Amino acid sequence: MTFVLVALGAGVAVAVELVEALAIVLAVAVSRRWSDALIGATGAVIACAVLAVVLGPVLLESVPLDTLRVVIGFLLLLFGLEWLRKGTLRLAGRRARSSSVAEFAETQEELEDVPLPPPGQADWPGRIVAFKGVLLEGVEVVIIVAALASRPSGPAPALLGAGLACVAVVGAGAWVRKPLARVPETELKWGVGVLLSSFGVFFLAEGLHVEWPGSDAAVLYIVAALAAVSQLQIHRLARA
Amino acid sequence: MKTLRKLILGETWILPLGITAVVLVTALVVKPLMGDAWEQAGGFVLLAGACAVLLLSTR
Repeated sequence: MTFVLVALGAGVAVAVELVEALAIVLAVAVSRRWSDALIGATGAVIACAVLAVVLGPVLLESVPLDTLRVVIGFLLLLFGLEWLRKGTLRLAGRRARSSSVAEFAETQEELEDVPLPPPGQADWPGRIVAFKGVLLEGVEVVIIVAALASRPSGPAPALLGAGLACVAVVGAGAWVRKPLARVPETELKWGVGVLLSSFGVFFLAEGLHVEWPGSDAAVLYIVAALAAVSQLQIHRLARA
Repeated sequence: MKTLRKLILGETWILPLGITAVVLVTALVVKPLMGDAWEQAGGFVLLAGACAVLLLSTR
């Protein structure tokens, strides 16, 4: 059960972050040049890979198990509640819905006034915008996946979910070559917020020597509790 | 730097401060007070704290 939930949490988190990064890369590619957009994006992917190679082993090898659980729980709760807070406010109509299409338009606007260098010369503004966009989304992906992968039961579900999400999003991007407008980003991000926050509470408590009634199945009632509290708040805010 | 801070700590200080306060109060005050009951019920205290931080940050 936990295997599926961890894979799902990592997969959806990675997918929504990649959709945002994809929107930025596609905006640079469409309004500037594909080669420069890909060079910028590749540079950021390499930087994220280096971070992942450093962060994973450090978390796994140099921190005692209980401390590791508390650190992982804290990080997941921090990221998860931020996603859940935004999702709650968005679904209540208190802030704009999440949209990679808007990100696409903003990136195009950002580069509109910068002249494109002649063919054969590097387009550094385009490369930098693509690099920055992929790096910022990528760092978040690395932290979430590293935290979920550092669980004592092993990295397999987190890496499986993240891998499937990468294949799905990159494949979809290569196929449609435009932002994935039909993806319900706000609802997905709300769901990821609930899952990450739930794992955060679960690991944090285990790190503090709690034995959850129902063992691993406790994640299910933690998910239900956080989802219910958020939905109640959404209805309260929407009515106010 | 501003972007990095936003990436790690989010858009509001309520979350990092709130979560830190919940963890510290739970570990240093509630856990010793609950004694043996902590093992079975401590998780629900943390869950309640997380819910409270969520409600506080979305007022």
